[in-house]
Amino acid sequence: MTLAVARTEPISRVRSGHSRRRTPYLLIAPAAGLMVVFLLYPIGSVLYYSLQRYNVTQPWDNAFIGLGNFSTLLFHDPLFWSSLGFTAKWVIVEVGLQLVFGLGLALLVNETFVARGFARALVFSPWAVSGVLTTGIWVLLYNPTTGIFRYLADAGIGHQGTAVLASPGSVFPAVVVTELWRGVPFFAILLLADLQSIPAELYDAASVDGAGRFQRFIYITLPHLRDVVVLATLLRAVWEFNNVDLLYTLTGGGPAQQTMTLPLYVAQKAVDAHDFGYGSALTVVGFVVLLFFSILYLRVSRFGRDLGGDST
Amino acid sequence: MERRGRHLRGPLALGTVAAVASGLLLAGCGSSSAGSDPNRRQTITFWDNNGGPDRTPLWKGLIANFEAANPKITVKYVGIPAASVQQKYDTAVTGGGTPDVAGATTSYLGGLIAQKALVPLDDRVSQAGMTGKLVTSFADSVRKVSADGKLYEVPTSGNLDVLWYRTDLFQKAGLKPPASWDDFFTDVPRLTEAAKNQYGFTIRGGSGAIFQLLTEMYSYSGITSFFDSSGKSTINDPRNVELISKIAALYKKDTPTADVNNDFVKMVAQFDGGSIAIMHHNLGSASNNVKALGAAKVAAVPLPVAANGVHTVVPNPVDGLVIFSASKHKDAAWRFIQFVTQKSANSTWNQKVGQIPANTEVSGESWLQSQQPVRDALKVIQDSGTVSVQAPFYLPEFSAITKTEMGPLFQKVLLGTLSAQRFADTFAAKMTQAQAKYVKRVGG
Amino acid sequence: MTQPRIKRPRLKRSTLTQARNRPEVLIPLALYLLFTLVPFYWMLVFAFRPTGSTTILPTRPTLEHFRTVWTGLGFGVFFRNSLLVGLATLLVVSVFALSGGYALARYAFAGRKIFMLALLCTQFIPGAMMLIPLFEVFRHLRLINNLWALVLAETTFQLPLALILMSGFIRNIPIDLEEAAWVDGCSRLRGFLAVVLPLLRPALVAVGSFAFIGSWNNFLFALMFMSEQSKFTIPVGLSYTLGEFGVDFGALAAGGVVAAVPVVLVFAVVQRYLVTGLSAGAVKG
Repeated sequence: MTLAVARTEPISRVRSGHSRRRTPYLLIAPAAGLMVVFLLYPIGSVLYYSLQRYNVTQPWDNAFIGLGNFSTLLFHDPLFWSSLGFTAKWVIVEVGLQLVFGLGLALLVNETFVARGFARALVFSPWAVSGVLTTGIWVLLYNPTTGIFRYLADAGIGHQGTAVLASPGSVFPAVVVTELWRGVPFFAILLLADLQSIPAELYDAASVDGAGRFQRFIYITLPHLRDVVVLATLLRAVWEFNNVDLLYTLTGGGPAQQTMTLPLYVAQKAVDAHDFGYGSALTVVGFVVLLFFSILYLRVSRFGRDLGGDST
Repeated sequence: MERRGRHLRGPLALGTVAAVASGLLLAGCGSSSAGSDPNRRQTITFWDNNGGPDRTPLWKGLIANFEAANPKITVKYVGIPAASVQQKYDTAVTGGGTPDVAGATTSYLGGLIAQKALVPLDDRVSQAGMTGKLVTSFADSVRKVSADGKLYEVPTSGNLDVLWYRTDLFQKAGLKPPASWDDFFTDVPRLTEAAKNQYGFTIRGGSGAIFQLLTEMYSYSGITSFFDSSGKSTINDPRNVELISKIAALYKKDTPTADVNNDFVKMVAQFDGGSIAIMHHNLGSASNNVKALGAAKVAAVPLPVAANGVHTVVPNPVDGLVIFSASKHKDAAWRFIQFVTQKSANSTWNQKVGQIPANTEVSGESWLQSQQPVRDALKVIQDSGTVSVQAPFYLPEFSAITKTEMGPLFQKVLLGTLSAQRFADTFAAKMTQAQAKYVKRVGG
Repeated sequence: MTQPRIKRPRLKRSTLTQARNRPEVLIPLALYLLFTLVPFYWMLVFAFRPTGSTTILPTRPTLEHFRTVWTGLGFGVFFRNSLLVGLATLLVVSVFALSGGYALARYAFAGRKIFMLALLCTQFIPGAMMLIPLFEVFRHLRLINNLWALVLAETTFQLPLALILMSGFIRNIPIDLEEAAWVDGCSRLRGFLAVVLPLLRPALVAVGSFAFIGSWNNFLFALMFMSEQSKFTIPVGLSYTLGEFGVDFGALAAGGVVAAVPVVLVFAVVQRYLVTGLSAGAVKG
């Protein structure tokens, strides 16, 4: 028995004519309309300011400087490169771990056990918590006076004064764990929903053919999850790249700029230092980097091939 | 496969028009605007720069009293969380939508003035007879921020850097609160018991570190100005560097390891959690500390005096009220400011908040005598022997230098990867450069 | 070999895994639950513990923080606004994601790849950088200080994720099901509503909850686009507790409990729709 990948393109044209040709465009019109109205101008604005020297608190200095910001950024700013490198490390580690844990969690809560609904709600609840609150609670958790390490030390495990966010060796794992806490539910929810679309008889048939549980996972589950996994990891990677609230509050990019991501650097430059021109240039570079890697990622995961409408 | 025509334009344009039209249709309640005729009902908007559970009820009370006394004026209160206030103001100034009157401190006043967002209030102040009633050093701080020396902000409340300390821990160790810096550096190790998570001091190493460090430096060294007569920065004066090294030497030994990351939130969590004997902050955290530790266990003392006897103090940013130039109700806004800064309102507000009232008529009030930290702080400010070392908030780069550039370098000093001397030299060079640019632009 | 289309009984799951409460499922799950719950426990401790106490078990619980938050900060209004904006965003995003996702999944139209790339591009720029131009756009539309500005802004930023994910879910549903409906005489829309939509329930729950949560937790737009106290949302209310000179962890935690508990409860109810009975294989391939 061959396992066919579901066809997505209709074989027979039940309808024909103008209405079908226009239909997809009508269907995407609301989304496209929103993007045009609300995003064209802001994105254009960022591009425009990246070519200016623009500081709201020093308006006498504002001027058009062409690619000046970009040359400073690329050749005279070591923090740009170090933050870009750290951002890559941060994104890869976070998305990788979140995917693995999320998939594991989805598989677990898909099983049957007592109080399953309750467990699911709890497992997904970090997703429901606001960023302000998440960072606030984890600040308290990691603080040597109010946090978990103090009580562990009181109980005899570890020693007092453990400050994971302050030590260059432990700060990366500490922030990774916090973001993991928050991000795993994203994958867990999505993959749990995706697992539902796998027809049960595929498993039955494979088992009849002699496939063990691991093989069923590799040959049935994973391929079915592939589309959503590819998209979700890409979207999550972009989100992790750009989202700085956690790092901003937990470490401020420190200690000594060790946990500085590129968007955090942008936030500092554009908001704290009011240097909007340079911040815009950094944003443009971030945009180009993300665009490049998105296209690359989609190509490599051979997503484009399926988009063409072929079926195997 | 059929050929598809270019049908993009029609539906897309349709979609855009639909989106915009629905947006316009949905535009229900915008903000109201009233006429500016003084005899008509007016509504002014007031933005509180430090909204929160402590202050919001205070302001609402004051507003209720003001509206009772001025029945034709309604004040709409909007609380802005302090951490986002600069961004909110910048967005409003650039994008449009500034309030009539708002709270602001001198730390970001310069930026607002540079964007030409505020109106100078000198004339109104003198016409109202208030000129002599504002605490001199506060008014000076405000004037120094702007190149034209005008008063863009009416001070309502001032602050002072103090050392909060645990009276019970000091008593147990048989120590008196530090009167000199020598006392301080000998007291701190005596109060430390690292194994029990008890430390003598906590350093603010994260956000906001540099300003606090500057106040410590100049209080220690007794140097009376940020720049010498030739415009060179005094930050890397050997006495200042000495303080930096001494503080850095305390790190990890007599202060928690976590300090390198300490912003205000983390620092006060430690002090209020009971593991710190002395914390350097300002009067503003009074309610936090008293609520957490109890009034019997906590007190404050101003920063110690320098060894050479000169009592130098770097004034804390002054909190006050500003009027935005785009306001259509400037007269009504001014009446509100007048009300808030008069004796009774100013007294009530500062009493509840525990800060120094800017209205000199309040200094005789009895509550001042009973709130020890405020009383001692006011004494320092009013003492003629105190030298005010104004931080150069008028330099547009000051905020960027202290917040984003020197912060990480100070962390390196604490971690031991950068010497205090190199740190101070770098700092001084940046300040000298910024000052030179300022002088060139403004002319002395 | 063709088989007539038969109605399959709704099986809870495959006939393979019969055992319940297997330890290899329960133990890792319990460990992960512990990890998830520790921060929540901290939140509860701070919410119910009087300021200044440092005991790990709140021996003298107090409601003062909740009072601070509800009456002192006026959390009731924030809650209402967050709810309105969140529900509106949820509805709009769900509808637009369904329509756009269907287009991406079922049609190979010109500009499909560009459209998807454009959707991705909207996520490439941090919100803080687009804040002022967005503000200006809303100002021109006279939507500043109007909650609809939040709905529109949130929808614009949540839609790409929702749309792309929805297209992935729709692709997982074989076109054969729809074609069977067309053969029976349904229009494309009716076929979609009758056949595909029920199977998309898990997807809708997932995508809808992402949209709602994203809107519920958005701080920046809520603070910047609203200029009246009565229009602020919960995240703004929470940030009031972290003032310039004072922090009230008790109030922050209490506010957090008020903000999180209802959402978690709703999710507890809704989560069973994430998992459907398995009946997707109505036609043999």
